[in-house]
Amino acid sequence: MMMALDNKELTLLHKTSREFARKELAPGREENDKHPFGPFFQHTLDQAFALDFFHITLPKELGGVGHGIEELCVVMGNICEEDSSLGGILFTHLLSQEILLRADEENRLKQVAADAKNAADFLIATSAMANPSEGWELPVAKKEGNSYHLTGSIDYVVTGGVARHALIPATIHSETGFSYFWTDLTQQRIDKSDPVLSHGLNACPAVDIRFNHAGAALIGEAQRGEEYFRKAFTPMQLVAAAMASGIMRGSFNEALAYCRDRKQGGRKLKEWSLMQMMLSELSIRLHVSEMLLSRACEAITQGEKGAESAVQAAAFHILSSATELTSDGIQAMGGVGYMKDFGQEKRFRDAGQVQALLGIFPMKKIRFFREFIDSGIKTRNP
Amino acid sequence: MISRREERMLREREPKFEDTLLSLIATGRQPKGIIREARKIIAIARKFNDEVARPASLVIDRKGLEDHRYLPWEYVKKANEYKLYTLFLPKMFGGQGYSPACSCYFMEELAATCLGMSNIVGAHYLGLTILLSTWNMKIAARICREVVEGEKSGSPCILTLAMTEPNAGTDSQNVEFMDKGGLGCHARRVDGGYVINGNKIFITMGHVSTWHIVQAYTALDKASETMVTFAVKTGQKGFSFGKQEKKMGQKGSVASELIFDECFIPDDQVCLDTEQAASLRRNIKETNEQLFAYIWSASRAGVGALGVGAARGAFETALDFASNHTIDGERMINHGWCQSMLAEMYKNVAAGRSLYSEANFANGMYGLLKLMNFKSIYYTNRFIPKAILLKLFSWICEKKAATWLFRLIYLDFQEDAEIDRVDGWGSMAKFAGSDAGAANCRMALELMGQAGVRHDRRAEKMMRDAKLLQIYEGTNQINRLNLFKRLVARSYEDVHTFSSSTR
Ligand SMILES: Cc1cc2nc3c(=O)[nH]c(=O)nc-3n(C[C@H](O)[C@H](O)[C@H](O)COP(=O)(O)OP(=O)(O)OC[C@H]3O[C@@H](n4cnc5c(N)ncnc54)[C@H](O)[C@@H]3O)c2cc1C
Repeated sequence: MMMALDNKELTLLHKTSREFARKELAPGREENDKHPFGPFFQHTLDQAFALDFFHITLPKELGGVGHGIEELCVVMGNICEEDSSLGGILFTHLLSQEILLRADEENRLKQVAADAKNAADFLIATSAMANPSEGWELPVAKKEGNSYHLTGSIDYVVTGGVARHALIPATIHSETGFSYFWTDLTQQRIDKSDPVLSHGLNACPAVDIRFNHAGAALIGEAQRGEEYFRKAFTPMQLVAAAMASGIMRGSFNEALAYCRDRKQGGRKLKEWSLMQMMLSELSIRLHVSEMLLSRACEAITQGEKGAESAVQAAAFHILSSATELTSDGIQAMGGVGYMKDFGQEKRFRDAGQVQALLGIFPMKKIRFFREFIDSGIKTRNP
Repeated sequence: MISRREERMLREREPKFEDTLLSLIATGRQPKGIIREARKIIAIARKFNDEVARPASLVIDRKGLEDHRYLPWEYVKKANEYKLYTLFLPKMFGGQGYSPACSCYFMEELAATCLGMSNIVGAHYLGLTILLSTWNMKIAARICREVVEGEKSGSPCILTLAMTEPNAGTDSQNVEFMDKGGLGCHARRVDGGYVINGNKIFITMGHVSTWHIVQAYTALDKASETMVTFAVKTGQKGFSFGKQEKKMGQKGSVASELIFDECFIPDDQVCLDTEQAASLRRNIKETNEQLFAYIWSASRAGVGALGVGAARGAFETALDFASNHTIDGERMINHGWCQSMLAEMYKNVAAGRSLYSEANFANGMYGLLKLMNFKSIYYTNRFIPKAILLKLFSWICEKKAATWLFRLIYLDFQEDAEIDRVDGWGSMAKFAGSDAGAANCRMALELMGQAGVRHDRRAEKMMRDAKLLQIYEGTNQINRLNLFKRLVARSYEDVHTFSSSTR
């Protein structure tokens, strides 16, 4: 863990989240990962809710804990080291929260926080794996009187099957761009699919949703959905990177422990220079990622000039690195790395899924160029 | 200008002509008929894909994810109905007699649609490969006959290869490591046969196969010199199945534990042991190393082809997505970055295919397929009616002389340089093809965003499936070492590979 844990609160949070992850998440990892073929880990989710993990960055005046991005990244890293499905659920909720805050919807958030008795009440589902402006089918919103109604489909609404509310991107009838809508997922005019079987984050289920003239409220202003998304993008990319970094730590630790124990060719695996090289590469990736993450958190927290582009660049690096590291994390363990009895194969899948958060990976890079390199906005790049 | 001696000397300098330009050397040597067969084989695979594999692939995968104990019986039978288990069996064994040189192209096709299902067929041919590599013609003929009968009767008879053990994965596959203490499958010589005790793990298709080609050792601390290769039949006393592994992917095939508990195997199921090997030119350890080289050179070229299939499947899936998905008002396929990414994927397929083809040519000239690629034998197999060949060959195989002759040709006559060549190329094809598969699957996932991670869009399944190719048949790391051993190290003195002197 590279973060400079230089304040007491952060250290405490680190300990609490790590203990929670090791005691509550790790033992059930294989079982929870069976979802949707096994039960959903509602109990664990409620425990995380009770520990205020979902409130972590919600401002105090809205009923939250009011921590910053650094604290959030510490918690996310610890959780994802053991089981990133919970990380995915948290991520989705926090993305919704971030968008709502950008759209000046503090009151709505405050209300939800005040009303919530359990995790499901509090969770706000959204299409966390997509940038809605990247060509995905969106429902159409039509204004009728003072309210809106949604008609049409949207794919892959993360936590849509378990959350009470959702933030749905939709196009307003005969207008361009997209807007966000608040909708109660328990209403009758919404058809939800079974949980979509996915590559990773199995216990962070998504559903496809069909709206049949379902009631919804506009979030912020019409047609400003993309703007809200873009504003939420940078901090949330960093959160995704923190998840990836936690996954990497888990993968490295398990690979190292195995190589210290397993013998082939008459030696411990760790004694073969080939394996030393592989473990060293894993460790280098991990160190670099943790360092980048720590520095990126600092840059954001201190509002440094050019922080946004630097943070995004760091996140791209970490997210790619995680897919490579987790692949080698399996490789270091040979056949057993491929089996569900160990954590490596899940981390490999989860890293792939986390990389896809917030949109198509190469498109994120194209936008990075357009937004920071080509636009004249001062970046850290020479 | 240049004398013959000089030419030879220069040609034999590293990298040696014979080691590098295999397809060129094969031109003219290889029967032309193979090209026509390859075309037909690809069509057969595509028909199976259209009618069976594609509609079933996600269904099987889902079933396997839901319950790791799922056994793909239905599809084992389907492949039998489509006569896939006898495609590459020579007619003299009662098979359909398609050139085994085409099997890689066939595997690529199957894998491009469903890697899991391709293994139903692939593991069977892997078992046949090890069986044939022992050149015990009597046992080979008997088992092949059963495979053919299984096809006729509708009860599939397929094979596995069983080497890996709980404490010996890499160690079970390399003679240099076999004596280091990890192996535990013991064979005890008794009157009329051997008694086996121990476990094998990760055996692809174990639970649904009839014959298992198993290696056990009469002295575990000298396994490299006491290895015995057995043909064990499902149902034999003392032999049972243990757990089914909870794999990440390739759900169309099962990975099984095989348990041997005082399992008596009679002499007529001993494919190769020290007694049989005593008369061979090489000592027993060298012979065992040669046996591994035969197996791996053929099967790793096959895994390379599976990797290329995976790479192709990922490419096709990504291409389909890109041509239907619009971003910034334009189909993705019209974005330069996307075209470049797809081109990279296409290149990975083509490069991987070139490598496994080269390995295939090496096998055709110097390895397992050598005899079948001799024009006279090839055309005999093709044009003489199966019934005649089968009758004649069944009779010949019963004779000890048949085994002696084949071992003479394949084991004694094979030169060390040829072993290096086929084994080195097998490793190269394997790690290059499987790395290409994994790389393309990753690119497909990246390119498809949230569609890529959905099971129903196939790319994520391909990624899970492809990852395994980097592990089995020797990890890619070990295959890199093997390439070095076979094609590089020999030019330098005092270079240690796969030994305790290697750090
Ligand atoms: C799904 C599946 C199906 C399989 N099917 C079959 C089958 O049908 N039949 C069969 O016999 N086997 C089968 N295998 C076994 C497979 O071939 C082995 O898993 C593989 O060879 C690796 O062995 P291992 O898993 O024991 O890993 P290990 O040998 O323990 O290797 C672990 C790590 O250590 C490295 N390593 C090992 N030894 C050395 C060394 N000396 N120097 C440097 N690095 C080293 C490896 O590269 C790897 O990274 C299958 C495996 C799987 C996962």
